[in-house]
Amino acid sequence: MSNANWILFLSTLSTGLILGSIFSLVAAGVTIVYGSIWMPNAANGQFFLLAALFGWTLTVSWGIHPAIAAILVIGVSVPLSYLLEVLLIKRFYDVPNRNISYFVLSLGITQILAGVFSLTYGQWSDQFQLPPLITGITFIGPFPIANNRLAVLALAIAILAGLFLLLRFHRYGRALRAVFQNRDAAALRGVNVKASYSMSFALGNAVIFAGGILFALAYSFDLTVAWTMAITAFAIMIIGGPGSVLGAVVIGMVFGFTQAIVSVVASPTIAAFSYLGAMLVILLFKPSGLFAK
Amino acid sequence: MDSYWKTLAVTATASATLLAAANISAAQDKPPVKIGFVTELTGPWSFFGTSCVAGLKFGEEQINSPGKRKIEFVITDNQTSPAQSVAASRSLDVQDKVLALSGPTSSDTGLAVYGYAEQNKVPFVVPVAAFPQLTKPGSRYTFRLEPNAAGWGYAIAKFVEKQKPGGKIAMIYSDYALMRAITAGLKYQAPLSKLQIVADIAFPQGSNDATVQAAQVLAAQPDYVVVIGAGGFDNTITNQLLDIGIKPQQLIHPFGITTQVMNWGKRSVGSYYGTFFDSNLDSLTPEGKTFVKDFIAKYGRPPSYGENFCFVTAHVIREALDKNPEAADDREKFRDAMSKLKTKETTSDIPIEFDKNGARKEYIYFMQMTDVEAKSYKAKQAFYAEWDPEVIPVYTLVK
Amino acid sequence: MTDSSSTTSLSSDWKKIAGPLGAFTILAFAIPALLSGNRYLAFVAGITLIHIVWTSGMNLLYGYTGLMPLMFAGIAGISAYFAVDLTASGWSFWVALPVGALAASIAGTILGLPSLRLKGFYFTLCSLVIQTVITLGFVYFANLTNGDTGISQIPLPAAPGSGTISAPAFDLILAAAAVIGVVVLIAITRSALGKRLIAIREDDELAEMLGINVTRYKMTAFFIGSLFAGVGGALYAPYIGFISPRSFDVLISMNIWLMVAFGGRGTIWGPVAGAVILVPLSFLLQEYYTVKDVIYGLLIIAVIVLMPGGIASGLKRTTRATEPVAAGAAEQRGAK
Repeated sequence: MSNANWILFLSTLSTGLILGSIFSLVAAGVTIVYGSIWMPNAANGQFFLLAALFGWTLTVSWGIHPAIAAILVIGVSVPLSYLLEVLLIKRFYDVPNRNISYFVLSLGITQILAGVFSLTYGQWSDQFQLPPLITGITFIGPFPIANNRLAVLALAIAILAGLFLLLRFHRYGRALRAVFQNRDAAALRGVNVKASYSMSFALGNAVIFAGGILFALAYSFDLTVAWTMAITAFAIMIIGGPGSVLGAVVIGMVFGFTQAIVSVVASPTIAAFSYLGAMLVILLFKPSGLFAK
Repeated sequence: MDSYWKTLAVTATASATLLAAANISAAQDKPPVKIGFVTELTGPWSFFGTSCVAGLKFGEEQINSPGKRKIEFVITDNQTSPAQSVAASRSLDVQDKVLALSGPTSSDTGLAVYGYAEQNKVPFVVPVAAFPQLTKPGSRYTFRLEPNAAGWGYAIAKFVEKQKPGGKIAMIYSDYALMRAITAGLKYQAPLSKLQIVADIAFPQGSNDATVQAAQVLAAQPDYVVVIGAGGFDNTITNQLLDIGIKPQQLIHPFGITTQVMNWGKRSVGSYYGTFFDSNLDSLTPEGKTFVKDFIAKYGRPPSYGENFCFVTAHVIREALDKNPEAADDREKFRDAMSKLKTKETTSDIPIEFDKNGARKEYIYFMQMTDVEAKSYKAKQAFYAEWDPEVIPVYTLVK
Repeated sequence: MTDSSSTTSLSSDWKKIAGPLGAFTILAFAIPALLSGNRYLAFVAGITLIHIVWTSGMNLLYGYTGLMPLMFAGIAGISAYFAVDLTASGWSFWVALPVGALAASIAGTILGLPSLRLKGFYFTLCSLVIQTVITLGFVYFANLTNGDTGISQIPLPAAPGSGTISAPAFDLILAAAAVIGVVVLIAITRSALGKRLIAIREDDELAEMLGINVTRYKMTAFFIGSLFAGVGGALYAPYIGFISPRSFDVLISMNIWLMVAFGGRGTIWGPVAGAVILVPLSFLLQEYYTVKDVIYGLLIIAVIVLMPGGIASGLKRTTRATEPVAAGAAEQRGAK
C-alpha cells in the first residue's frame, strides 16, 4: 500500500473506533435506562451536552485540568440522577404504560435544558473547545494522530470494558441484568427491583455523561450536537435491541465505522442515508433488535 | 451693496437656524420611528442574533442624539425558525406599525422575512445574511449590507490566483445553503482564474469527525484548503487538517468571526480568513476604533463583522432618514431613500450604495492570523477585493 | 368521553356530539372573522386551525389506533412541497392541494408499513428515524425543495376569478378545513372502521383473532391520517409563505404529537384543546422569549405528572373521581 492509502486506512480505523466507542457509551447509557425502567430518555442528548458544557466551564472558565474535570463531570451525574429520580422518575414506577409517560417527561426535560443552554452558553459562544488531555502528535507509520485522540480512545474503551465487567461480574450488575431479562422472575429470586431501578438510572446517566465529556475532549462542539446525538443513540438502541448493552456497543461501533468508511467510497451525505436505511431494513426483519434476548 | 448682502446672509442664517430649531422641536414632538428587528435570540443561531443586537445597541445609542427624531428598534425573537420569523414580521408590521424590518442573521430566517417584506411592501434592511437570493432580480424592498456568499467564493478564487497562479484548491465543508453558495461561486470562478479544484467534500449536517476526509484532502495535494464547517464542527475540521499535516498557511476560512478565530488557536497562526470588518484593520476610522474599544470593554472580545454590520445598520437608517425626513412616516419613501443612499460605513469608510436589486457594491478582506491570546487575537490584512455583485452570475449559480 | 366503551346507539351519540361540534364550528369561523382587523392575531388563529387539522390526523393514528408516528410533519412536508412545486409549474392550487395530499397519503401508508411488524414503542422509535431520513431528503433533493434554503414568497392561492384570494378569505378556508377534519374524525370513530381501529389499539393480536384484518386497517388508518397531514401541509405553505426542511422536522412532529398527548389522546376534543392552548402559547410568550422554553417544558412535565391522560382525562377525573388514571393505553405489549 502507498503512504496515502495507509493514511486513509488508519484514519478510517481511528475515526471508526473513536466515534464508535463514544456512540457505544451513549447508546449503552440509554439502553440501560430503557431496559430497566422503560424510560426512552429523549433528553439523553441534552444530558450528553450538559456534560460537555460542564466540562467546558471547568476547564476553560475555571482552569481545571481536563483529566480532573472529566472525573468531576462523571461524578456530578450521580447526585443529579438521584435528584431527578426522587423528583420525577419515581412517580411512574408503577404506571403500566410508563414508557409513553417517560417519553413525554423527557421531552419536557429536553425543552427546559435546551432553553437554559440557549440563554447561557448560547449567548457566550457559537462553539466550544476544551483544552486537550495531552498535546503532541504520534506517528503510526505514515499516519499522524493527535495524542489527545489516542487518550480519548483509550479512556472510552476502558470505560466500556469497566461497564462490561460491572454488569457481568458484580453483584449489582447481575441484579441489573436479571431485571432486564425478566423483572418478575428477578423479584421472585429476591432482587430488590426498585433499588435496581435507582442504580440503573444513575449508571445509565453516568455512562451518557462519560460519553459527553469524552466527546468534548475529542471534538469541538456546539449546542446542536444534543439532538443529533439523541437520534443516533436511539437508532443504535433500536437496532441493537433495547436493554442489550452488548447490542449497543456492537451497533455503536458499526455506526462509527459506517460513518468513516462510507465517506471514503461515497459522500458523507450518502453515509448518513445509508446507516439510517440499514436500520430500517434491520428493523423490518428483526423488530426486537439484533441482540435482543 | 455690501450691507445688503450682509443683511441677506444674516436673515438667511437666522431663518435657517429658526427653521432648524423648528425642525428639532418638530422632530422631538413626533413619535419615534419604529424599526422591527426580527432576530435569533433563542434556538441554534442565538449567538449570532444576540451578538448582532449587541452591535446594534451601540449604534442605537449614537444615532439618537438630542434634537433628532428618535429611532427605536423593536427587537423580537424568531427562535431561529422561519415560521416564527414570518409571524414576528407580521406582528411588527401589523401591531407595531414599524417603518421597516431588519435583523435576521441566518439565511433561512432572512429569506422568510424577505418573502414577507416583498409581498407586503415593507422595506427590509438586512445586516448579516449572505444568501444571494435575498437580492435576486426583482427585489424591490430589500437592502443588504453583507456581500453575498457566492461572491465570497469568487473572491477566494481571486485571492488564490494572486497568491499562487495555477494553484490547486481543496474544499471541505458542511452541507448547508450558505456553504453551497460559497462553493458554487468558487467552483464557477476557479477555471476562469486558471485554478484547479482537486477535492470537493461535503459533510451532512450533524457530522462529528473529519479525519478521514482530512486524509483525502491531504492525498489530493492541494495548495490551499477552503474550510467551511458549521458551528463547532468548523473547528474540528481545522484541527484535524492540521493534525494530519496540512500547514496553517494552506488554510482559508471564507469567514472568521472572533470566537471562531480565538478557538482556532495558536496552532492556526498563519492561516487566512475572509471578513468584512476586523478589529485589526489598518483602515478603521476613529468611530470604528471607538466601537472596537467599547465593545471589548463590554463583552470581553473584539466585535466581528456581524456586530459591525448591525452597528452600521443603525447608522444607515439614521442617514437615510436625515436626508429624507418625510421618509420617516412613509414606507415607499423610505424605500426610495434607501435606494438613493450613498454613504460610507462609519467604522471603516467602505462605501455603501445599493444597486437596483438592493445588493451593495461588494468587498472582502482576507486576513492572516499572526497571534492569538485568550481573549484577543492579532491578524494582518493580506488581500482586499471589491467587485460588482453580478460579476459572476450569482442568481443563477445559487437557486 | 367518546370512547370505545360507548355502546349507545349511533344517533344518540351524534346528539351528544352535536352541541360541542356546533360550538366549535361557530368559533372556528367566527374567531378569524372577528380578528380579521388584526392580521397578526388572525394569523395566530389560522396557524392554530392548521394544527387542529394535524392533531385530528395524529389523534386518529395515536389516539384511536395506538400508533405513534413521529414522522407526521415529514409527511405534511411531502404534501407541502408537492403543492408548492405543482402550483409553481402552473397548476391551480385547488388541484395541487388534493394531489399533494394524496401523495402524502401514499407516502404515509408506505412509511407506515414498519408498524405492521413493530409493536408499540418500537414503531415510534422507528418513525423517529424515518422522520430524520425525510428531513435529510428534503435537504438533499434540492432541485425539488431548494434544499435548506427553503422556498420563499409562496403566494396565496388564486381566487376563482382573477388575482389571489384575500388573507381573511383564506382564514375561512382554514376554518372549513379544521371543521371538516374534526367531523371526519368523529364520523370515523363512530363507524365500524373506528371500532376496529380501537380494537387494534387495545390489543392487535386479539383483534386479529377476532377476524379483524389488522394489516388492512392499520394501512387504512395511515392513509387517512396522512391525508390530514397532507391537507394541513398544503395549506400551511401558502399561509406562511415560506417552507424549508426545518418547517417539517422532527421537532414539529413531536409538537403535534405533544398537543394530542397533552390534550388527551383518543378523545375528539382533547387534541383540539391541545392545539388551541399550545399553538398560541409560543406566539403569546414572544415577549418572554428568555424563559419561554423553560415554561413550555415545565407545562409538559406538570401535565404528565398531574394528569397523565392529558387535559381531557384530567378534567374527567375531577368530575368522575373513580375513573382509573391510565386507562386506554395498551402500550405494554410493545414494551416487553
